[in-house]
Amino acid sequence: MEQVLVFDLGEERYGLEVGHIQEVADSPVLHYIPQSPGFFLGAINFHGQILPVLDLCNFLEFPAGPHDPRKIVLAVEGCALALAATAVHRIVPLAAEALLPFQGSPGRESFIRAVFHHQGRMINLLDLPRLLRRLEAA
Amino acid sequence: MRVEVSYKFIIGFIIVVGSTVLVNLMTPHLGVTPEWQQLFSTGVALFVGLLLGWVFSKAFTANFRVLNEGAGRLSQGDLSKDVVLPQPLLPDETQDLAASLNQVTGNLRELVGIIRNSSAKVAESAQGLSATSQEMTASSHEVANTVEAISRGAETQAEMVERGSKLIRDMALSIEQVAHSASKVAEAANNTVNSAKNGGEQARATMDRLRRFMGETEKNGEQILSFGTQVQKIGKIVDVITGIAQKTNLLALNATIEAARAGEYGRGFAVVAEEISKLADSTSLSAGEITTLIETIRDQSQQVQASMKENSRELEAGRAAIDTTGLAFEEIIQSALGAQAKATGIAEASTQQTAGAGALVKAIDEISRVITDNAAATEEVSAATEEQSAAMEEMAHAAQDLSALAEQLLATVSRFRLASDGRS
Repeated sequence: MEQVLVFDLGEERYGLEVGHIQEVADSPVLHYIPQSPGFFLGAINFHGQILPVLDLCNFLEFPAGPHDPRKIVLAVEGCALALAATAVHRIVPLAAEALLPFQGSPGRESFIRAVFHHQGRMINLLDLPRLLRRLEAA
Repeated sequence: MRVEVSYKFIIGFIIVVGSTVLVNLMTPHLGVTPEWQQLFSTGVALFVGLLLGWVFSKAFTANFRVLNEGAGRLSQGDLSKDVVLPQPLLPDETQDLAASLNQVTGNLRELVGIIRNSSAKVAESAQGLSATSQEMTASSHEVANTVEAISRGAETQAEMVERGSKLIRDMALSIEQVAHSASKVAEAANNTVNSAKNGGEQARATMDRLRRFMGETEKNGEQILSFGTQVQKIGKIVDVITGIAQKTNLLALNATIEAARAGEYGRGFAVVAEEISKLADSTSLSAGEITTLIETIRDQSQQVQASMKENSRELEAGRAAIDTTGLAFEEIIQSALGAQAKATGIAEASTQQTAGAGALVKAIDEISRVITDNAAATEEVSAATEEQSAAMEEMAHAAQDLSALAEQLLATVSRFRLASDGRS
């Protein structure tokens, strides 16, 4: 039984395994990083550590919109990063059987591992490794 | 020696008789035959008689001829010569007659002279009289014309007076109407003043009520403001609660994450975190409901405030209107009082005018009377003038008659020729 943090990116609902998440930061102060790429929202001070904040909406080429002040701090080995979503919701349990495969549009790289249903909505499970790889490449 | 004709006749007769007797006596002495005695005596008698007769009658006839001539002359109107008889030996009545005739002639002469003079004078006077009477007729005609003109003028005057009188009567009527209307106006003004006073009092009472009401409304407004303040406080508290709930939620989230990382050992912790999350959700929900309620209350309160402001504005407008109404009533009272004063003035003036009109009527009546008197007098004058005119006419006629008479007289006496006349 996985636990998935559900959040919104634009109109879409996305999910990320709790295992990848360190913490959800409570509205940290966002510092602007000069001369940074557009998908970086800024930097936050997380327990003395400086973490860049990735604007998922921007990175996944969603239309720009508001951001939830709570930032998702990732717990990935060798990666100090936080994610910004449109809205952070709750943690939902996920049964492995409920996962459904996802067919992305051809010619377009998608960062969605799978989808599953929850309370009448489709939740796209984020493919974090691929995302990080892509990020390192950029 | 005067011997009367009868005596002369007697004497003659006696002479004849005497001569006859004488002859008769003488004849026998003369030697005449007795036959021829009678004849002779008769013849002598006749002869003597004829002789005497011839002598007498000659003288007589001559006298009578002269007398006749004289009388004839007299009858012809020739008064110039006297009858002159030859001086007789024995004057008798013939001389008397001649003297009388001469007297008559003389008297007639005198008379005719006087008549001539008188009739000449009369004719002159008659002429003068005629001329004067003509003048008088002319002037009395003029007078008559003037009187006629005066009479016409008096008619016109009377007409004018009638018109004037009528006008004044109409004027008096209209003055009365004006006075009547003025009194009505005064009455109406009085009513207006009373009504306006009532209205003013009503306005004041309404103002007081309004002021009280506005005071209360202000109090209500203040209360609502204080409500609003309380509600704001509630809102703030609810915000705090909401914040706490959110933070609790986050905390539960992070706790779940930690619990997941803890694996097996964190399962209980995860459950607790889940419960906390649920509680936080419930709190959030309730806080949300409270917020919604607060919003509703705030909206309603705002509405109430807005409507109260509206009311207040309307009340203010009403107050201003009542103020204006009060002022208007004051103005109405003032102008009504003014109208009253004016109406009273008009009524007084009308009374004066009526009195004046009355005086005018009297004056016009007086004038009318004078005119009537004038007309009557004029009539009299006219009548008198007519009489005068008639008398003038008569006088003229009489003068003419007189003149004619004088001329007639003159003509009559012109037959008579006086010694002074140059022509016959």
